[in-house]
Amino acid sequence: MSMVTIAIPSGRLLEGAMATLEAGGYLAAGAWRDTRRLILPGVDGTIRCLIAKPVDLLTYVEHGAADLGIAGKDTLLEQACDVYELVDLGFGFCRGILAFPQDAAETWERKSPLRIATKYPRVTERYFWSRGHSVDIITMHGAVELAPQVGLADGIMDLVMTGRTLAENHLVEVAELFQATARLVVNRVSLRSRADAVAAVVERLRAAVRQRTAAPSA
Amino acid sequence: MHLERWQQIPSGTRDLLPDETARVREVVGGILGRVRRWGYREVTTPTLEYLDVLVRGEGSAAGDSLFKLVDRGGELLALRPEITTPVARLVATRLRGTALPLRLAYAGQVFRWREAGSARLREFPQVGCELIGAGTLEADAEIVTMAVEALQATGVGQFSISLGHVGFLRGLLAGLDLPEPELEDVRALLYQKDFVGLRRLLETQRAAPSHVRALLALPTLQGPSALEEAGRLADAPEVRAVVQDLAALQRMLRASGAWDAVTVDLSIIRDFDYYTGIVFEGHTPTLGVPLLGGGRYDRLLERFGVSWPATGFAVRVERVLSAEEGAVDAWAPDAVVAFENGSREAALACARALRAHDLTVAVEVQGRAWDVVAREAIARGVERALLVRGQAVVVRERDGREHTVALADLVGPAGEETTS
Repeated sequence: MSMVTIAIPSGRLLEGAMATLEAGGYLAAGAWRDTRRLILPGVDGTIRCLIAKPVDLLTYVEHGAADLGIAGKDTLLEQACDVYELVDLGFGFCRGILAFPQDAAETWERKSPLRIATKYPRVTERYFWSRGHSVDIITMHGAVELAPQVGLADGIMDLVMTGRTLAENHLVEVAELFQATARLVVNRVSLRSRADAVAAVVERLRAAVRQRTAAPSA
Repeated sequence: MHLERWQQIPSGTRDLLPDETARVREVVGGILGRVRRWGYREVTTPTLEYLDVLVRGEGSAAGDSLFKLVDRGGELLALRPEITTPVARLVATRLRGTALPLRLAYAGQVFRWREAGSARLREFPQVGCELIGAGTLEADAEIVTMAVEALQATGVGQFSISLGHVGFLRGLLAGLDLPEPELEDVRALLYQKDFVGLRRLLETQRAAPSHVRALLALPTLQGPSALEEAGRLADAPEVRAVVQDLAALQRMLRASGAWDAVTVDLSIIRDFDYYTGIVFEGHTPTLGVPLLGGGRYDRLLERFGVSWPATGFAVRVERVLSAEEGAVDAWAPDAVVAFENGSREAALACARALRAHDLTVAVEVQGRAWDVVAREAIARGVERALLVRGQAVVVRERDGREHTVALADLVGPAGEETTS
């Protein structure tokens, strides 16, 4: 009855999310690696994890199919869902940036409208609107950095971690739109109707994060 | 499977089948019936309003989520996204000279533009109440109690009302001592419920520490200790006033029988440009979205030229229905009536007589054989199948047994009633 469901994103944040739950004492170390199950029970019976596609994650939490979730700030910014964002979990750092081919890196601001390929159409649109720059957004689902090379777009708005992909594709960062890490989010009704159980998870994970950031990195 | 356009309905809209429509009517009727006993009378406003009216009531940002139309003369119209603003318009115009307070209820479809695929309805039924012309805590207690009774009337199982007050957040924000641009950022982050961003922003500002602590603790300020905790965290005049008001409300709600279903919850964040006092939401554990929302909005009517305080709530009927567990009982009429050649008029009179006794009766209109009609009817749960045969009526019961009664025995009493 009081079992709490936490939605975990597959993909880039999976490893860090599982490490956080392990540090919180909710999962046995590495237990998730050997299984292809999409719902994992926690070790103490108070939680279960549901593994969802990152793009669907906030939908689960917003509709209450999961009480809590772990989502990248990039997704939160893009989807603007009605969830409570409570804890910065500290892992999965990346930046949302605007990049252009080398030869356009100096001149892009003079072109209007710009064609920008991105997985984050709303964030991109907001950025250009707030600057009064007209823009045509081309929404893509992967390999965004290809778009300028084949003439599909003038530039891209994408996530970067190391910047290596940019360099390999001869793209130059010209602006940073946001910085993102993984966040703990909570459904607005769960926060109230299952207040104690949800608060317990929030505090345990908050403590786990505090401990990790306090510990000297090995 | 490919569906042609004519087989589809627009994204975010719904067809309701008989069972579903019946439940909607039951829920709406249950709520209206309950609030009628409190003296609330239903008003009806048009589905279409001038865009200007809706924007005046809800602010220009609301314009983005409206379905708009252009009238012949070029006037912009919109489908109402809620009914409080239309009621405010009605009150400020046609009910202007009426004695206060006004106790009004409404029920109707509302429309909000949503992106397709967001799984959100773009048309849904709302039923609500407004108490206009009383700025007192007694008025608030009445509205909150009615909200509890409204949800009870719907038959939704377990639910609770989370009761907060925008004055608490207002007081905290005012006490932060931040310049307006930063304050605007704080408000935006609160609306987004982004407490990570809020913490970061407040840490970089020189804001009053006690208020910062209270703001960041907001999501936990709920339950029996919330008021005490709030007073302890932020000892400011506005906060003290809110705590006092909520404590007084608590005493009144105990007396009115609603308190068992109410939790003080200062973490409720609803539009604090619109609301001016208490705010509340109704929740049920089986549904991730609120069933009901409301609060005090003393400034709305000002925008329509009368400065009357007001408080009210609206129920999301379709959410109440989706929170229900278990299947609805299959529906079937109480009786079906078939007839033999030459007994058609007698069958109609028989059906009429039975309906006069408050029974639901369907007359056979496809000319099928008696046995087919009776078997099919009993299979789908009809209590009795009747065959009118001259002056006699064959009655087949659910267990298959048949007996014969005189038509006069069935038609008689009702006939007497109409002739006497």
